[in-house]
Amino acid sequence: MIERAELADAARQVFPADALMPARDASWRQVAELGWLMLDLPEDLGGLALGREALAAILLEMGKALPAAPLAPALLGLQAVVASPGLAEREGLIARICGGEYIPLNLLPGAVDHYQGRLTGTIPGVFEADMATHIIAGTADLYALIPLDTPGVTLTEHRLWDESRRLFDVVLDGFALRPELILADGQAAWELHDRLSITAQACVAADCLGGAEAVLAMTIDYLAARRQFDRPLAMFQALKHRVADMKIALTGAEALFWSRVSDPSSNPLQMGAMKAHCAQTFRDIAEDAIQLHGGIGLTQEHPCHHFFKRAFLNAQLCGPIEYWEEQTGKQALS
Amino acid sequence: MVPSSTMSENLDTLRADLRDWLAANAPRDWRDAASHAAFVAGQRAWFAQLAAAGYAIPHWPAQWPGGGRSLAAQKVIYEELARADAPRLLLTFVSTYHAFATLHECANADQQARYLPRILEGEIWCQGFSEPGAGSDLAAVRTKAVRQGDVYVVEGQKVWSTMAQHADRCLLLVRTSSDGPKQAGLTYLLMDMKAKGVTVRPIHQIQGDEEFAEIFLDGVEIPVSERVGEEGAGWAVAQATLASERGLTLMELAYRMRGNMFRLAEAIRAAGRANDAGVQRDFGRLTTRVDAVCALADRFLERRIAGEEAVGDASIVKNAYSGCLRAWADLGVRMGGMAAQHRSAITFGDLNTGNWMADFMNSYAWTIAGGSEEVQRNIIAERMLGMAREPKGWVAP
Repeated sequence: MIERAELADAARQVFPADALMPARDASWRQVAELGWLMLDLPEDLGGLALGREALAAILLEMGKALPAAPLAPALLGLQAVVASPGLAEREGLIARICGGEYIPLNLLPGAVDHYQGRLTGTIPGVFEADMATHIIAGTADLYALIPLDTPGVTLTEHRLWDESRRLFDVVLDGFALRPELILADGQAAWELHDRLSITAQACVAADCLGGAEAVLAMTIDYLAARRQFDRPLAMFQALKHRVADMKIALTGAEALFWSRVSDPSSNPLQMGAMKAHCAQTFRDIAEDAIQLHGGIGLTQEHPCHHFFKRAFLNAQLCGPIEYWEEQTGKQALS
Repeated sequence: MVPSSTMSENLDTLRADLRDWLAANAPRDWRDAASHAAFVAGQRAWFAQLAAAGYAIPHWPAQWPGGGRSLAAQKVIYEELARADAPRLLLTFVSTYHAFATLHECANADQQARYLPRILEGEIWCQGFSEPGAGSDLAAVRTKAVRQGDVYVVEGQKVWSTMAQHADRCLLLVRTSSDGPKQAGLTYLLMDMKAKGVTVRPIHQIQGDEEFAEIFLDGVEIPVSERVGEEGAGWAVAQATLASERGLTLMELAYRMRGNMFRLAEAIRAAGRANDAGVQRDFGRLTTRVDAVCALADRFLERRIAGEEAVGDASIVKNAYSGCLRAWADLGVRMGGMAAQHRSAITFGDLNTGNWMADFMNSYAWTIAGGSEEVQRNIIAERMLGMAREPKGWVAP
């Protein structure tokens, strides 16, 4: 078993935290060449079966560099294919994905009408869809492989505040769904959704923790370097206490993250609540980082704002914070 | 190493056995104690029962009956005690944690042989560290000990000593020298609370409790054989005492808090708010936050046992716990409404008294005592994150 720390070291070499927002296509090729898509793939399919902790270690480290390379959506697409033994040409598809063909899963809830073999509706939350050949469209009662280069399928990009990533809607207008493209429908789709959501929450939470750690380190460096009133800002106790609180929140979120990611019995609700906690922590730390950077934090001349915007977007992915908090409370009080 | 399946079976057995034992033995009416004397008697009896059954000192080494439990087993014990709504061991808290850790790590063989068995027999210890002029700045201790032959003669005053009015012995930090750095002039003594010249005055706290006391020391003679470590090494020994407070105790408290979530859920239902989306959110957020504190306490202890503890780690756990405890009691106060504003007769410093306002006030003990939240933040910022210290040498204008 490769240690978490070794994987983190490997990720740090490819995505050093001082080279923020590395060019997407080049870093995607590296991710594929390093075999990171195969880390959690079962051994009988040629993977390393290292478990979700291994993925989490890589994604957390990548999160520090704000990469566009869409490893998480690709891993989820792969997991969906692996979990669908009835899919046509499944093994060939798995090999292509592991080789770098990008087939992502959407990270926002999709809604489509399925009428007489045709799909109409919108699949939102597809990262970097312009480099995808297909997507795995996940909705409440249907998971399907959608080739993008097909009549009835168009991409609409939404410009985001978060410029570290690109996000698309895949719009289906009478797309002809062939049975061999269906991964799961009905009850099977619900079950697949639960399995995928556990990984999805781990992926988003890992990105949150990596981002939070990086922006906190950036803030500590800034406070040490910036001088006012003939002393470093770091010397002011009022600011020290805010930084200490950021560190406490981050350390608690990390402990929760690893305890739930490494526990095979964690259910989708526990993972969603964990992601909400990590996303809120990332937001809180990124917000304070802007404030503690002062004027320069409010500009695009300093990278602080990229973390801030990514934190807010992460909070929306795979169910917003409020949703998971409310569901956790509802279940505990039922 | 025990395979994990066997391990989990053992934990399940421990949990089931303890649950049965608690059903038969846990005190039920302890909140109704009409006087401090009744409370103290109840605490002594409960400690004796737990010690006899092997549940009182799970964090001690295996040579002690009931000791040598794995971290996982300790967590099971704390969770089950909370779930059974059994009282916390407030009276023997300092004995089994602070005194134990200090004696175990720093005392000589004679001292260990003399005192450790007595703790298990129910001897009560208190801690004489803080003074009116030495709170957050503990090294400013002024209580003076002068060596005269085989004894130290001690003059001074201690404050915030938990349960000192009931204590048999005291972990005492004194000044034996005023030369050099203030930390270097401190010495650590073990004091008999019944010695001549010791006077104790309970302090009436914000919630009417008498959890803390002042200790006045007037020419108290303490044999040199009761010194822990060398003369002038008291600061280092005191760190062992304080570290126990910020480590193991927090695991018990975190898992107790988790075990007590049901009380909050009951309060929400009793207030008719279980279907209120806002309250569901608040409770859901708190549930996850409590789990995060438990995970943090776990990780802290794993690191400590592996010898990987870093400066500031304990401060992070303490502040994470104390902040979460405040939020826990705050939701209780909101749900308790007017009922929480009705004064409860007597509270005894526990964190689940059944009166939410009392619990809320009690929660300050954790943000102030044992090194305030603010001191912990300074430790984290300066010693862990390397933020510059303020220049010393402030002069009154």
